[in-house]
Formats: sequence, structure tokens, C-alpha cells
Amino acid sequence: MTLPESKADASDVRTIALVSAGRHVVSGRSDRAREDARAVEMGLKLAGDALTLVHAGDPEEPTLVECLRGYLGMYHGFDMARGFDMARGVDMVERRGSGGGCGRLDLLSMAPSDDAVPMLAEWLEAHEAKLVLTGQRAECGEGSGLLPYLLAERLGWAVVTGVAAIESVDGEAVTLLQALPQGQRRRLTVTLPCLVAVDAVAPAPRQSAFGPARRGRVDVVEIGQPAPDADRAAWQFMPARARPKRLKVVKSANARDRFKAAAAKSEASGGRVLSDLTADQAAEKLIEYLRRENLLRQEKISAAEGDQ
Amino acid sequence: MLQTLLPILIFTALAVGAIGAARRIRLWRRGRRSPMRWQRLLRMPKRYLNDLHHVVARDKAMAHTHVATAGGFVAAMALAIVVHGFGWHGPILGGLLLAASIVMFVGALAVNRRRLNPPAKLSKGPWQRLSKSLLAYSVGMFLVSLPLVGVAPTTLGGGALVLVLTLLVAWGLLEMIVGMGWGGPMKHAFAGSLHLAFHRRPERFDDQHGEPQSTNPHDVHRGSRSTALFPLDLAAPKLGVEKPSDFQWEQLLGFDACVQCGRCQAVCPAFAAGQPLNPKKLIQDMVVGMAGGTDARYAGSGYPGIDVGKHHGSSASPIVPQLVEAETLWACTTCRACVEECPMMIEHVDAIVDMRRFITLEMGETPEKGAAAIDNLIATDNPGGLDNASRLDWAADLDLDRIKDRPEGVDVLLWLGDGAFDMRNQRTLRALVKILRAGGVDFAVLGEEERDSGDVARRLGDEATFQRLAERNIATLSRYRFRRIVTADPHSFHVIGREYPAFGGTFEILHHSTFMAELFEAGRLSVGVNPHSETVTYHDPCYLGRYNGEFAAPRQLLAALGLEVAEMARSGYRSRCCGGGGGAALSDVPGKARIPDMRMEDVRETGATTVAVACPQCTAMLEGVVEPRPQIRDLAELVAEALIEPGFDEVVATAPTPARAKVQPDEEIPA
Amino acid sequence: MSVRRIDPHAERIRRNRLHPRHREFARPAWRWTSAEGVTRINPHALGAIGPNGIKRLDRSGASVEASIAGGGQASTEPARRQITLEVPSGYIMVVPELAEGRLSDHDRDLLGLARQLAGDTDLAVTAVTFLSDVAGLEEAGADRRLDLANLVDAETYDPESRLAALVAAERELVPSHWIFADDFPGGGDLGRRLAARLTSDGVQEARPATRVWQVADGRSLSRAGDRQDIQRDVPKILIALAECADPVSETRHEARPMTLEADNAAIEITAGIVDRGRVAVDPQQIPLAQAPFILSAGRGVADWAGFHHAADVLGASEGASRVAVDDGNMPRARQVGATGTFVAASCYIAVGISGAVQHLQGITRCQRVIAINRDPTCDMVKRADLAIIADGDAVLAAVCQQLGRPTPVPAATEERCHDAA
Repeated sequence: MTLPESKADASDVRTIALVSAGRHVVSGRSDRAREDARAVEMGLKLAGDALTLVHAGDPEEPTLVECLRGYLGMYHGFDMARGFDMARGVDMVERRGSGGGCGRLDLLSMAPSDDAVPMLAEWLEAHEAKLVLTGQRAECGEGSGLLPYLLAERLGWAVVTGVAAIESVDGEAVTLLQALPQGQRRRLTVTLPCLVAVDAVAPAPRQSAFGPARRGRVDVVEIGQPAPDADRAAWQFMPARARPKRLKVVKSANARDRFKAAAAKSEASGGRVLSDLTADQAAEKLIEYLRRENLLRQEKISAAEGDQ
Repeated sequence: MLQTLLPILIFTALAVGAIGAARRIRLWRRGRRSPMRWQRLLRMPKRYLNDLHHVVARDKAMAHTHVATAGGFVAAMALAIVVHGFGWHGPILGGLLLAASIVMFVGALAVNRRRLNPPAKLSKGPWQRLSKSLLAYSVGMFLVSLPLVGVAPTTLGGGALVLVLTLLVAWGLLEMIVGMGWGGPMKHAFAGSLHLAFHRRPERFDDQHGEPQSTNPHDVHRGSRSTALFPLDLAAPKLGVEKPSDFQWEQLLGFDACVQCGRCQAVCPAFAAGQPLNPKKLIQDMVVGMAGGTDARYAGSGYPGIDVGKHHGSSASPIVPQLVEAETLWACTTCRACVEECPMMIEHVDAIVDMRRFITLEMGETPEKGAAAIDNLIATDNPGGLDNASRLDWAADLDLDRIKDRPEGVDVLLWLGDGAFDMRNQRTLRALVKILRAGGVDFAVLGEEERDSGDVARRLGDEATFQRLAERNIATLSRYRFRRIVTADPHSFHVIGREYPAFGGTFEILHHSTFMAELFEAGRLSVGVNPHSETVTYHDPCYLGRYNGEFAAPRQLLAALGLEVAEMARSGYRSRCCGGGGGAALSDVPGKARIPDMRMEDVRETGATTVAVACPQCTAMLEGVVEPRPQIRDLAELVAEALIEPGFDEVVATAPTPARAKVQPDEEIPA
Repeated sequence: MSVRRIDPHAERIRRNRLHPRHREFARPAWRWTSAEGVTRINPHALGAIGPNGIKRLDRSGASVEASIAGGGQASTEPARRQITLEVPSGYIMVVPELAEGRLSDHDRDLLGLARQLAGDTDLAVTAVTFLSDVAGLEEAGADRRLDLANLVDAETYDPESRLAALVAAERELVPSHWIFADDFPGGGDLGRRLAARLTSDGVQEARPATRVWQVADGRSLSRAGDRQDIQRDVPKILIALAECADPVSETRHEARPMTLEADNAAIEITAGIVDRGRVAVDPQQIPLAQAPFILSAGRGVADWAGFHHAADVLGASEGASRVAVDDGNMPRARQVGATGTFVAASCYIAVGISGAVQHLQGITRCQRVIAINRDPTCDMVKRADLAIIADGDAVLAAVCQQLGRPTPVPAATEERCHDAA
């Protein structure tokens, strides 16, 4: 979970972040998507302001550009040691002086019903992308989380999802941590070029600042031939319905058991209170409880080690 | 010999001082320019003699000392130029010069006595030296002027005595005149007088501070309080202040006016709590940044927990973190106690918010919880990230009128504020609704159309979010018809009343304490006298008191309830902040103590069992103090509790005047 | 017809409630036929103590029987119908997660969904596993079982070879549906990989339905972004959420093992991803909101070194009440509650925390709460699933002792204490 030490190597790897318009959970207003913002955060830590953002969408949509600027607002707080940026001829100190760098986002123009995958694939190939970061699942539209897979399949790249952190990048491969349930992690090495889908447990994104957001460049790019998403045409989108709560159905032959099950108090043990214990007894009870609930991690690990 | 030496000395000093002054002016002019209006210089004497002295005179002894020393010096210097400089000797002028020197000497003695054992708030170093220099100048000038009135030989014999006198006078001139231009302690006189003339808030000088004991019920002068933050042009190439040269030049001038008297330090709640903020040091750091150099020569108390001498700056390099640590800026509660106390009328809060603006808008480094609050404000219009449509959930049973259902207009629009989401504050709001109904007030609420006023966003430096919220709120408010707005939240009160006009929204807004006092005066509320003779104290919210001058109405209310008010040592315009303003509760800079704990200590000292508050933020902060502690009750709660609702008891309902309730404490109260 | 015989000795004991062996003979105590042939009911043996401490009569007598039977764990589940399927007409493949080698509730739901799709047809619900022995597939509704453990290493994360194995199964069996659990990085990952691969291979209808939560009338409902649902004809690949269907409860299936003919017909695998193993995660590094196990301290804790040590021993993330943070004993980032972090631990141990409303709000999503507090009346004890009325410091020290790592002498822990503070 540390930053890559060899930053020079990391910056040679052309890093791209795919971003999408998010929806705030409570208000439904357009916002940075939570996972995409984490992907951008990861990319900025890795590549600094060399990170380029891409989105395929409809530039005519009123809130889209403003929403995408939210990601550009994250272009700040770069290391001054990265020095003079020859490409743009801007002195680092001067840039720091105006608060942050200048982000760039390419908006691939397409209609909402078009298929983004071919366009994105074409753009990524054209830009010789090596490491593509994105959120696991979009907050708008289909939100299936399928895009990284389809892109990787089309490009013939490796794809990893559920990534919590990137540990290091060299010219050949990226070493990263994949999130497992309950805060656990698994280390993977993935050959470049690859697609990395970032999990919501990745480090929180930096603040989107107004100044850099305003300065960032959004270029509308026409690329390829937008083709409608054929599969999708047959689907029906409807407002999400609340999922029914599963009832505890008791399959029992007699009415008595069914009635009892229906009328019974919920499973909650209802709070056992143990008093008048010595510290040792209390500790015993506590450990017993934790063991029963399989919560003692030390033991779990030593058991796992014993198996090997 | 002296006759030849003195003019040389005086004119050299004036010339060198003038060169220094010119350089100093160049430093100020590195700030952002604004149109120069020379006629403003004419305002200076009145502002100095009246407004500045008003503040200085809060410490009577010091005021007298300053009058003697400064008055003596100005007179003595002017006369010395005439007498010794141009050689217009004459017994009358000479006598006047002697008299001025004596006055100055007396003042200087007082200064020296104070400096024998200087209080912690004072800076030492050059300021310690100044006291001696004042003596040297006054004594030297007195002695060299004695011959003018014929007391001593007209030509003092040469040799040692002349040398000594010359040195004394030279020392004095060096400190007083040269030092004035070259950044010595006397700089304050030169910079200070110009600062008074070109102050960014000219309205402040029309202000009379309402005293808590004032008999005037609603502090007629509070309309002239200039406490709104300056709007930021969001299209500017750089937002906020990054380097000293990004300040307005008047602000730089203002920093130079600082006399390091430490009154701000003494009242700063963050400093007292051991958080790394000291308003005096901050202003001195701004001076260091403007002139270039390190803070090693600063000779006063530093920021708690941060060593003096480790920071440096220049007018063209960023302030944070080389010169000032970000946490220093985030420790400020924007309570304005420092501004209120500053005899030089320096605007600390403006400077802090300017620097915060850069950190938030350009660097994106708002403290974590502050940033989260801003994100929530952008997404949901309230800092808690809650569904804005649930703003009225607490009032589901109260059947409040929505203003959108009242197209004919209402008398009062009740502005709920974000306290509507907080369970504690909902009790206050319920009480307020009860009072409004009892008073027969025709009121309605905005409901889910209401947004956060933008106070927190603005104090955290996010002017963009503030302006967005302000514009939307103004648009909403402009759609409806109402006579005035009433709110229980002083922050909304301040922002809507004082800061929205800059964005085209002028609304009449009253704090609920003012409005309730008005209802009492109009005889529309009747209360029973509190059966238990309880001692209460009242905590002035910064944004109600210092920001808006409302000290009287809350006290009037408490009196009307028949409650005995035991004032805290720091109350009224000197009230100590609860620690919750300016986003400080969000930035949560660690210190040695917590500000609300200190405030609760103030409360305990009065022996009061209840502290009356008038702000949701104060309520929350003070209730956060670990029990046992005095109870915290909003004014609305206290009034609602004592309320006798119309129709409940006809007899009492017809005897509504608070005065009567007060003089008949034994009156039987129907339960 | 048999003659009803009565044991007078037993009758006597049964009537005498003070007899030491009364309870033994009283079963079934609530009702019996007396010597006179009259049905008798014993009202004392009826009923059970309800949740409010009030005795509730249960005239069925079940509670008495259960309590005497010892624990009432006896399964009352009726016998399941055995279903065998000799010649399937096709296959529905289900890839259960098998976290920790066991079928989870989610896995059972997937199999239930497969059964629902199979309906009355002769489609074989086939559980595809990467583990050799999995219990309970029969009850969960699998007709067939395809064990691919020989093609992949079950222990390592190797999605590419798993995908190759699934593709081999697809080619050979051409199942009508694939069902995965929408969990990352498990079935959600594998299912999408399969879908992407099949799409690029030109298989029709390979675009999967993800986050499926209901299938009815030949249409599937899946949750999309932006508070929308997508309704579409049931596709070939379903990546489904938990509770997408009811698990099988009435039938029992054979889970007959089957193998791929093209065994080891491993398609060329591009080894893009290499598993480098689990990473030991310091519980203190897990963000509080995700931490599975939290040891939280309040004002009742005095021995902070001991507390930090206990957290280390238990492998728990540290949390704190607001007061503990305000007092400077814990960093602000560790504050649990409405004004701090909302936590969702599976176990939350509150030591010396009385349970202010804001704190309790912060732990509503915790599954198990254990309170250690001296005050039995405090709100935390009321909230807790297990409350221990004792001094927190002493209990923690005893826990460390019993787990074999006693709290070191204070001098040695001084440094750690500062780190954490």
C-alpha cells in the first residue's frame, strides 16, 4: 500500500483513467462516481498530472461536462520534484503557484444508446495506453461492471477487478492488491498492458477543487463510427423497485410448527448479561464467545498455516 | 555646537525615515491594487481620535498612557522640527516643546512601568527597547530644549555633555523616526494611521458598539456592523490568497499596523485551547511574508505547539506551509473576538478566510471532514449529506404551512437551518413553532426548498459552493411573498442578512431572540414566571452578538421570563466562542483543551444551573461537554416552557406584559 | 387392537410433582390418559417463558417436549422428495462461490434460481466446482456436479485458467444458462470474464444480466445504475445477487458427478495474472468503516497500553468513543459514532463505553456487539448481544493472559502507546 518508489518507471507507463458520470446516493445529483474517483486518485498518485481521463458520452447532455470536471478538480497536490514539464513547457513551481496542474479529459462523443466499447478500445490503442484504471461499476446506465471485461477481451489485455491499491509499476507489470471480504488483501502481479477496475475500498479520492476543475481541459473527440448497442435495444429500463424482504418460510408438516416459527422472536439472542464474574471468568466467557463465532483471527491464521 | 548638530540629526532622521517609508509603501503596493482615493486620508484623524481610541479605552490606564506618550511625541516632534530644525527659537515655542517632552516623559514612564513585568500577551524584543527609547527621546529633547527658555546656558558647553545629549536625541530619533520607516516598533504609527485611512471596511468607523448593559433594546447601531466576508470573483485567475502579494494592498498595510499588544491573543479561543493559532503571531507572520525573512525575530508568544523561528517567507512565495502551517488557519473559529479587540482594527478573519479560500479552491486540501461537508453541500444542499426532502420530517405532526401553498404571502418565513436535521435542535424548533403559534404569528416554512445558507462552505473557503447555494436560496426566496424571515440559527441569520445582499438578495431577517422580544413587547406572548428561582447565564453566539450586535434581545427575554441572569466574565461583545464556528468543529485541530470545555468552565464560574443559548451550533458544542454540567437550553425552549397558551387560562392570558410577570413573582401559576 | 397398559408406579411418579424423577416420567407431561381413561392435562408443564419474562401458554405442549428433549434442536423439517434425472435434455450451470469450502446461503439461492429456471423440464442443474469435496449439493438442488478441480488450483486466484475450464465446459455441454454469484472477486469476476469471452467468440445472447435479483415469467430483473432496473428475457448468463430466488427445500437431488470428456483439453492460457498470495493486513490499517472486528474503548478504559496490546492480541481494529478521542487517548480517525465513523463490523467489542446515542447510531450495522462495562444499567449493555459486567482493563488483561500473550510490563509498551495516540 505504499507508493511506488521508482516513480520514473511508473511515469513511463502511459496511464489512463476511464471515468463515468456518477449519481449521488442520496440526492441523485450528478457527481463523481465513487469508484471512478478512486481510480483517478490511484492514477494521480501513480502518474501525476500525466494521467489522462477518458469518457465516452453525449457532450450535449447538460450536466455531463460539469460532472466530468469534478474529476479534473482532483489535479492538485503534485510533487514539486517532478520538475519541468517539457511537453507543455510549464514550470513546475509556477504550476504549484496556481494551485495545481491542468488535467485533461477526452470526451468521446457518442449518443447515449451507442456502444462505448469499440470507441474506447480504438482510443486506447491510438494512445498506446498501458495501464487503464477505472471503477468497478458505473453508477448510471447499465451499471453492469462489464465494460472492463469487454474492453480487455477486445484488446486482448489482462483485466483485474476489486483492486484496492497499486503497489508498484514497472515497464512490464503492475503489482497490486486485490480486496477480499472483511478488509483482507491478496497481492497480484499483472502483465501490462492491463485494465484495473478499482474497488470502493480503495483509498478515498482527494477533494475535487474548484480551481483545477475550472482550468482542466475537456476535449470533445470524434472517433470511430458510433454504433448503437444492439443488445440493449431489447431491454426495458424501469425505476428500481424495492426488493422484497425474504420471509422466513418454514416448511413444516404441522400447523403448530409453522405458527410457532412465524410468531417466534427474531434470532437476536436478546442480549446475554453476565455479571458477578471475576476478570478471569469474564475473559474465559469472552474468548469462548469469540471462538464460537470464529472471530479470533490469530487462531484462524495459525490454523491456516497449520494446513499448509 | 548642538545648534548645528540638531538640525542635521533631525533632517537626516526624517530623510532616512522617509526613504524607509517609501520602501515600506512599495512593499504594500505589491498587494492587489484597488483604486486609490487620496481623499480618504482626511478621514484618518477622526478615525484615530474616535474609533481607535474607543477600542484602546477599554483599558483605561493604557489609553491614558498612549495619549500622553503619543500625543507628547507628536507635539514634541513637530515642535522640534520647527524649533531645532528650522531654528525658530523662541520662549513660547520652547516652552511648548518642553511641556510636550514632559507629557511624553510621563507617558513613557508609565510604559516603562508596564514593561517592568510585561503581561504574557505583550511582545518583547524591540518593543521592550521602545519603552527605553521613548524615555531617551523625551529626556534628550527636554534637556536640549532647556536653553530655549533660559534655564540653562544658551550654549551648552562642549564636550561630554553635548555628546551624551546628542546621543540621547539621536537614539530617540533613530527609534522614533528612522524606525518608523524602517520597520521598527514605531512603524505602527505610520502604517496604522494610513491603515485607518484606507481601511477596507469603512463602515466599521460608523459603528458604536452596543454594550450588553445597554438600555437600548435592539442596538440601533448594529446595522452599521461590517462583518460580511468580501465576495470572491470566481473568474479570477487565482482564487484566494496563496502568497502575501495576493492580499489586497490595504490588507498588507493593515498587517503592518499591528502593535503586538496581544489583545487578540488574550481573547482567541483557539489559542487558549492550545490549538496552533495565535492571531498576533499570524499577523506578524504576514508581515514577515510581506517583507521577506524568517519569524526568528518575533518576540512574543508563538502558535501553541509550533516553535518560533522555523518558518520563513517572502512576498512571492506561498504562505502555506513555509510561513504558516495549514492547521493554524484551520484552527480559527471565525469568532471575530480578535477583530473586536484589535485597537488597530486589523481584520484577522478576512485574512484567514482568504488563505483558506486558496487551500480549498486551488489546493483542494480542506481538512477531511470539512471536505466531506462541502461535498455533501454540493450534492445534497446540507452538510450532513442527508436527503434534503427530509428537512421537515421532524415536524410531521406539526402541520406547518409550506410557503408554496400560501401564494397570498405570509408575515413570517421561518428559516429552519440545518439544525432541522439534528434531533437536539429539533426540540428548539418545536419550541419556536409553539411560540409562534401562541403569538398568533402568520408564518410558513420553505420545507425541502430550503438549502443550507452556505455559511460553513464559505468559512471553509469554498466560495464557489457558497455562491451557488446563495444564488439558489436567493432565487427561491425571491419567488415567495413574505414580510420577513425569522430563524433560530445565527449563522443563517448572518449570512442571509449580511452576506446575501452582495449577491442581490436583500431580505429582512430577524433572529428568533429578536423576534420573540418583539412579540413580548407587542404583548402577544404571555408567560408564567418560572416557579423555581433558577440562576441562568446567557452565552452570546458570535454570529449573533459580535457579528450582528444583538446583545440586548436575549437578555430582555430572560428578564421577561423572570430569570436571574448571572453574566459570565466574558459575555456580550467579549463572549468566548463555543468552538463550533467557521467550520472549526469540522477541521477539529487538536489542542490541549477543548473550547466548549473552557466555555463550560466560564458557565460554572457563574454558579448558573442552566446556560441559555441561541444557536444550534453552540447547543451542540456545549452539550458535547461531559456531564455533570449545567443544562443547556435554547431561548426558545425556555420561553416555550413558560408559555401560557392563549385560551388555556383566560385570566393570565389577558395580562401579558412581561413587566407585570416580572414584578409579581409570587403570582400563582396555573400548572 | 392392543390393550392399553398402565404402569401404576409411573403414574404415581407422574402425579407427584415433588418426586425426584417426576420430570423424567412426566414426558409427555402436558397431556396423558389417566388410569380412568380420562385425558389429563398438566397446566404447570405447559408454556414457556416468553421474551418479556411472562409465561406463555402453549397448549400444543411443544415447548415442554422440546425443553425436555434437550435444546429443541431436533429438526422438524419434513423428509425431502428424492429426484433423479437419468437423461438430461440440457444443462443449467451454476458456479457457487464456496467461500471457505462450504455452500453459502447465496450459493443455495443460485441453485434455487437454477431449479426455478429448470422448472419441470429435464434440464440438469449442474454445480460447477473447483473443489473436490463439497457437502450439501444434493439438498441444495444440484442434479449433476462438474468438478473442475483437476483443471485449476483451488487455492490461488487464477481467473484465466478457471475461465478456460468454463469455456471448455461451455463448448462441450452447451448449457442453456450459466449462473454466477455477483460477488467480487469471485463469481462476479468469473461470470463477466466468461460473458466477455463468449461475446467475442460470437456466441449469441452472451451479454449477461448482472446483479439479477428476480426472475419471473421468463424475464429477469437486474439492478442497473441510477436507481433503475433492467427487465429483459432471461439471458444465457445470469450473475445474480443474494436472495435472487428461494433455495430448494422440498426436494433432494443426486448431484451425480460428471466429467468433461475433453478433460485437460486446456485451451491456451495467457498468464496475465499471477497470484502472489494473501497479504497480512494490520487490523489498524483497515479503514474503520470496513473493519470486521473492532475493539473500541471509552472512558472506562484507563490502561491504554493494555488496551492497545489487547487489540493486537485479538487481531481487532481499534475504535474509540468520542470522549476517549477528546481526552486525547485515541486519534480522531478512530472515533466511532454518528460524529465519527459508521462501522459495520461483524463483531464490535465496546470496553467501558456507556453508549451515547450518537455512538449507538454508529454501530447499528454491527452484527454482534459485546459490551464490557462496570455499569449494568448503561445503554451499551442494553444494546449488546453479550454484556460482561466487569472492569474492562482487567478483563482485557485476562484475555491476553489466557490467549498466551500477557500484557507486557508498562515500560515495554510505552512506545506503542505513543504511536497509537
